[in-house]
Amino acid sequence: MPSEPENPRRCASATIEVHLFGKLRRFTENRESSRESVICVPVEESDTIADIIERIGIPGDEIGSNVFLNGEYSATTRRVTAGDRLGVFPDDMQLLYKWYFPKAR
Amino acid sequence: MWKFLRVNMTDLTTKFERVPEKYANMGGRWLTSRIVHDEVPPTCHPLGPNNKVVYASGIVTGTAAPTSGRISIGGKSPLTGTIKETNSGGLAGQKLSRLGIRAIIVEGQPEEKGKYWVLKVNKDGAELLPAAGAWLGKGLHATYPLLFDKFGDKVAVIGIGTAGEKLMANAGICVNDPQNRPSRYAGRGGMGAVMGSKGLKAIVLDDKEGPGVPIADKALFDTGRKKLAEALQTHAVTKPGGGLNTYGTAVLVNVINEAGGFPTRNFRDGRFAGAAKISGETIHEVCQKRGGVGMTGHGCSPGCIIKCSNVYPKADGSELVSVQEYESVWSFGAQCGIDDLDITGELIRLCNDYGLDTIEAGVTIGIAMEAGLASFGDGKRAIELMREIGKGSPLGHILGNGAESTARVFGVVRCPTVKGQAIPAYDPRAIKGIGITYAISTMGADHTSGYTIAPEILGVSGKADQFSVDKADMARNFQYATAFIDASGHCLFIAFAILDIPSGLEGLVEECNGVLGTNWTLDDIGRIGGEIIGIERSFNKAAGFTRAHDRLPEFMKREKLPPHNVVFDVPDETLDKVHAV
Repeated sequence: MPSEPENPRRCASATIEVHLFGKLRRFTENRESSRESVICVPVEESDTIADIIERIGIPGDEIGSNVFLNGEYSATTRRVTAGDRLGVFPDDMQLLYKWYFPKAR
Repeated sequence: MWKFLRVNMTDLTTKFERVPEKYANMGGRWLTSRIVHDEVPPTCHPLGPNNKVVYASGIVTGTAAPTSGRISIGGKSPLTGTIKETNSGGLAGQKLSRLGIRAIIVEGQPEEKGKYWVLKVNKDGAELLPAAGAWLGKGLHATYPLLFDKFGDKVAVIGIGTAGEKLMANAGICVNDPQNRPSRYAGRGGMGAVMGSKGLKAIVLDDKEGPGVPIADKALFDTGRKKLAEALQTHAVTKPGGGLNTYGTAVLVNVINEAGGFPTRNFRDGRFAGAAKISGETIHEVCQKRGGVGMTGHGCSPGCIIKCSNVYPKADGSELVSVQEYESVWSFGAQCGIDDLDITGELIRLCNDYGLDTIEAGVTIGIAMEAGLASFGDGKRAIELMREIGKGSPLGHILGNGAESTARVFGVVRCPTVKGQAIPAYDPRAIKGIGITYAISTMGADHTSGYTIAPEILGVSGKADQFSVDKADMARNFQYATAFIDASGHCLFIAFAILDIPSGLEGLVEECNGVLGTNWTLDDIGRIGGEIIGIERSFNKAAGFTRAHDRLPEFMKREKLPPHNVVFDVPDETLDKVHAV
């Protein structure tokens, strides 16, 4: 049984698709927990995750250690490119990860 | 003076004993595993007369130490054939400690099958009473209120449901919560069936006017518990209003899903399209919108600072179930392709009613779906299958014996178990560190047996450095720390705070020293944890377990998990290295 695509891409090609959770959902149009809160952010050459977070306007101290680039646990210094999927969780949702995962840099 | 209570179910006698010197200072998992190791023949049949059930609360349980209400229950598991320690919150741990009882050891077996007793324990002693017919053969939501009518509503009840009476290998042991719901479980490993095989329906603990927990050095104890409380109250994950308190453990649904490690439709996929609908955030939102009895931030035992439990309401605000937590909403949710919290809630409620472990039950239903007994996502049929377990039909017995039995009966090769126990809600192909924990655990696949096996074992870059002795040391030490927390009687979730805040970790050790009058240092965490793991591995070795059992299911080495399209590629040599010394 082939599995259907779980998360079809929903952003234009020159952007990065950012999924926000918890209190960070306020930076997107949808704040309902039962749906995904996604924002499409224009991406420039040599942008890092930190640049994208700043462009959205999220204060740095609200971000925890749970930041995922294309599903990989990532440092915010990591470069992003158009077409990427970025998942960002707030500081109160940062449990477990740092002990389980190597952080991609 | 601490006592053991020994209960012989062959001749129906009870006796109190002095705690032998060799068990001094032990509590929780340390004590249950040690007694099982010393008294249970490793090759015995788990449901025969030579197995035992040992109940022990932790070293600081029953004191004012924060988040420390755990009770450990040990024996040989009918699900895995290994040694088992399974622990629970609820009221029982604290009441057992305050009665001055370090452990209850239940042994033997009545000759007459199908008869049940209730063990009543209070400050005056212990007594075995024949179980009334009305307490048997029905769901725990009906049985527990009858027990509180009989014994008073201030007691703790450690009981089994019909799954335990029917000796199903997925039967858990239930403990009442502060509102006397039958909702907290020492669920894993089928210890409810062992209790059932002894003819023991329930243990009722009344700690009124009990001696309480002696504290050797009150000032040191207070220093320690305050440090730990401060760490718990400060850390973003554990503090009041923090992640666990607000969203419950299901806060992890979106996190693990985003990471691509959220096992979906019997471990075919690492992402679930319906994850947001069964997330902790949605549980929180539904509790607020529906109102009524719905609440997050519910405490499962008195004195907990974290309070990660919840009461989930129906649409009309009345109670559906407590608790929708991460593992349970995953097992009945993503694992079964179900994206509806009202359905997962009903399935969890049925587990609480029949006396089943939710992880094993959900994984089993997912395997039944794989076998064609239902379609993935068919919540109505999932409920019907669960009801078969309650009825005790032949199909119900198959499902009630867990994931591996069900897979074998229906010829399902994609069977996510280790040592016969279902893998919990982190796919080890995407989350390799937890895969190592699952493989080498003394308990079968168990996320709580080495909560912190670190990324370092794979190196910071993610490149496996499997022959580094240092990395193996580190993995081992994290397992040891977990075993120590289980011995202390604290909930494992204190780990989030004490691994980040050093004074919290110091507080944990000072609490223990304060209670016991010992002079342990941080180094003793590793020593004691290592002793516990060593005892457990020794039992398993004598029961016939070898390195060949310290492995993940074969399909995980072969089938790629989307979206990362990875297999479990940690070499066997790395797994063997962890406990090589």
